[in-house]
Formats: sequence, structure tokens, C-alpha cells
Amino acid sequence: MSERMEERELERTLSDIGERLDRPSRDMWPAVRARIADRQARPWWSRLNLSGSTFAPVAATLAVILVAAFLFTPGVADALGHLLSLPGVQIYQVPQTPTARPNASPPTFAGQRVATAAEASRIAGFAVRTPAALGQPSAIYVETAPVRVTIVYASVKGIPVSPQAGVSAIVVEFKGTIETQIMAKAIGPGTTLDAVPLGTGVAYYLAGQPHQFFFKDPQGLLQPETLRLAGNTLLWEEDGYTYRLEAQVSREEAVRIASTLR
Amino acid sequence: MRTDSVEGRPAEDAVLVERAQHGDTEAYGELVLRYQALATRTAYVITGLSTEAEDAAQDGFTKAYFALGRFRTGAPFRPWLLRIVANEAKNRRKAAGRRPTVDLSVAEDRPSGDTALSPEEAALASERRTFVLGALSKLREEDRLVIAYRYFMQLSEAEMADALGVARGTVKSRLSRAIARLREITAGEASVHV
Repeated sequence: MSERMEERELERTLSDIGERLDRPSRDMWPAVRARIADRQARPWWSRLNLSGSTFAPVAATLAVILVAAFLFTPGVADALGHLLSLPGVQIYQVPQTPTARPNASPPTFAGQRVATAAEASRIAGFAVRTPAALGQPSAIYVETAPVRVTIVYASVKGIPVSPQAGVSAIVVEFKGTIETQIMAKAIGPGTTLDAVPLGTGVAYYLAGQPHQFFFKDPQGLLQPETLRLAGNTLLWEEDGYTYRLEAQVSREEAVRIASTLR
Repeated sequence: MRTDSVEGRPAEDAVLVERAQHGDTEAYGELVLRYQALATRTAYVITGLSTEAEDAAQDGFTKAYFALGRFRTGAPFRPWLLRIVANEAKNRRKAAGRRPTVDLSVAEDRPSGDTALSPEEAALASERRTFVLGALSKLREEDRLVIAYRYFMQLSEAEMADALGVARGTVKSRLSRAIARLREITAGEASVHV
């Protein structure tokens, strides 16, 4: 082209391109029907669908509250509503959680193992913080798609080794937004949820029956985390980052540990 | 195409969606048939590959089926579906880690409104398409998508807003900026060729 295109000509060319754009080579319905049947045959957690900003989180929130309201203690539905506003977190009430895998020995965690929190911060692109109350981490893992840091404490005095995780405590940190749901949780009817004060904000404590965590893989698909169930868990948000502490401790102790995040 | 038994007209999207929500998969099949071309084009603009676009569209339809329970009654189905398909296509492109190259070479033989053009005019139109496509592939994804929704798929402003997940006012400004950027690129390319 040797001349500047006039606006009308540009628009006409764009419409012309549109007419010629690729069309499906065949009727898609048989293939779509087969995919639907395939997904229906899979376990329920692989059917959870949280693709980016596709769905309004509010709609999912309401659905969960409706299901959960009569299963939880009074006030918990309200707590759920708040919890669902935590960046990157969704909770689903399910009739039962998957069967836990026997303890992995040693437990396995996803991501690149790094030596220090500073190195994890450099890779993750945000300041990784650790709770002083737990002492030195045994291991730190960093995932980059999406970014997530897992800090493992193999043995902490006064905290039993979790039958689910195979370690005393795990801290997970990530930056999530409502548009990019990084983590989902599924909780069964035996799990309790409490909103508790933490600093100037609120944290959420899940306890009772083990529950399942899910994380988005780089393809945006939800995957159950390491096929293990989580024990008592505290979830909270600070400065746009979401933190999760998993340890077999009381609600008060979990809050105390969380308050020592440095 | 199946029709509304009373009026003899194609069933409205809302009717098909409601049927699908109640387990009528064939009603959903009709929606797939109705929007498969639009869905594939949307995915194609993002992925730049025909095979991947079809795959993304099929996955988008599948995800939309399982999300029907969350579909807001009375909302337009078409932009809601396109939003899901576009997200699916974006995820695939990100996973592949490459930039799309919208290539119409395979579509050049397809019949279009060019039949009345002289060979010289048809050749010039073809050159313009190639030129504009080259410029399009240099745009950001969000600019390319807003142009595609407007010019390739003729979506209304309200549908574009729904499909892009933005306010209607934002659609206007975004489209205007995208066209301006496209013009800048085409102007720059033209000057190189002078």
C-alpha cells in the first residue's frame, strides 16, 4: 500500500475481512455434545468452572449461600459472603469431599523450591512474608503461572503434624483478583467456618472435616491441590494479597500466628 | 433448524436457554448451531489459528453449558457466550505463549461481495485486506477484539459491552482508541512503502 487509507476505506476493508474470516469446518454440536458427556462423567470438582472473568462471582456467592445457609451455624452464611470477596477465593458447599490420599511421605508441593523468602520474593514479584511464630521454614516453593508461594514448616514445636498435609504448618501466599480466581475451596457439611478479627480486618477460620483446595493451572483449569485434604485453615487478606495458614491449631492460635506475619 | 411449534419461527434464544437449563440438550444443540460461526470467529481473532479456534469454541460451548445455571434470566445469550469463548481462547493463547497472527490466506478463495469487482479492483481489495490484517495483528488483544466485535461480527454496542464485560460508554471510547491505533499503524506502514 502506498497511500494512507481513508477512514471509510479502512472500515470497509474491516467488514470485508469479517466476511472472509474462518468459519467452522463442520457442525460443532456432535463434538460439543461429546465433550459435555465426557465432563458429566468426571468427578464434580473437575466440573467447577471459574474461567477468569467469565462469570460474576456474585452469582456464585449467592448460590453458595443458598446451599450453605441451612447447613452452617447462624451467621456463617454472612461470613461466607465476606469470604467470597477475598481476592482469588471461592468456596463451594458440596455434599462430600473427595477421599483423602494416604499421607505422602515425604509430602510433595508444586513449584520451584527456593532457599530463602528473599529469593521467593524475587521470583514471585512480591514481598513474601513469613509468620515469625512458626520460626524458620523447612522449604519454600514458588509457582509462576499463576504466581503462588507455598511455605512449608515440617515440624513446629506445639503443632502436631497434620494427618492431611504430613507437616506441621503450611502458609500459602498469592495475589488474586476477583477476575482471576486462583483458588477455590470445596467444603463438606462437616466443616465449620468462622469470621474472626485479625488486626484491623477479618480472617476466616475453617475447621472440622477436611476440605479440598483447588488451584488454577496455567490453562485456567481447576486442579485439586496435591490430592490431599486440608486441615484447619485460616484465610485472610492484607494489602491485596491473600494468605492461607494451614495447621492443626485452634482458631485463637491460628490468629496469633497470622498476626506475626513479617 | 428446529422451530417454535406455534409460530413456525426459529425459537428465541431465551426459550432455548430455558429448555437447556431444564436438561434439554438438543435445545442447547440448536444454540451451538446458531452461534458456532460467531464463536469460532471470536476465538480465531484471539488465537490466530483455525484449528485452535474451533477447539476453543467447542470448549467455550461446553463450559457455557455447565454454567447455564448461573445465566441470568432475560440477559442476552450471545454476548454471554462470546465472553466465555473469548476467555477460553485467551487462556489457550497465553498457555501457548505466542502472539496471534490473523491470517486470511485460507479464506481468500471464499466467495464474498467481490464478485462485481474487476480483476484489478479485486486484486487491490485483496492487497488492502492483507495490509489491514498485518496492522491488526500488531494491535493489543483488547483492541483487536473490540474491532472484531464491531466490524467482523456486527455486534450492537450493548452486546459488545456485555461480551467485553465493560460499560457501554467504555465500548465507544475503546473502539475509538482501537481504530485510532489501527490507523496509526496503517499510516506508518504506508509511509514505509512510499
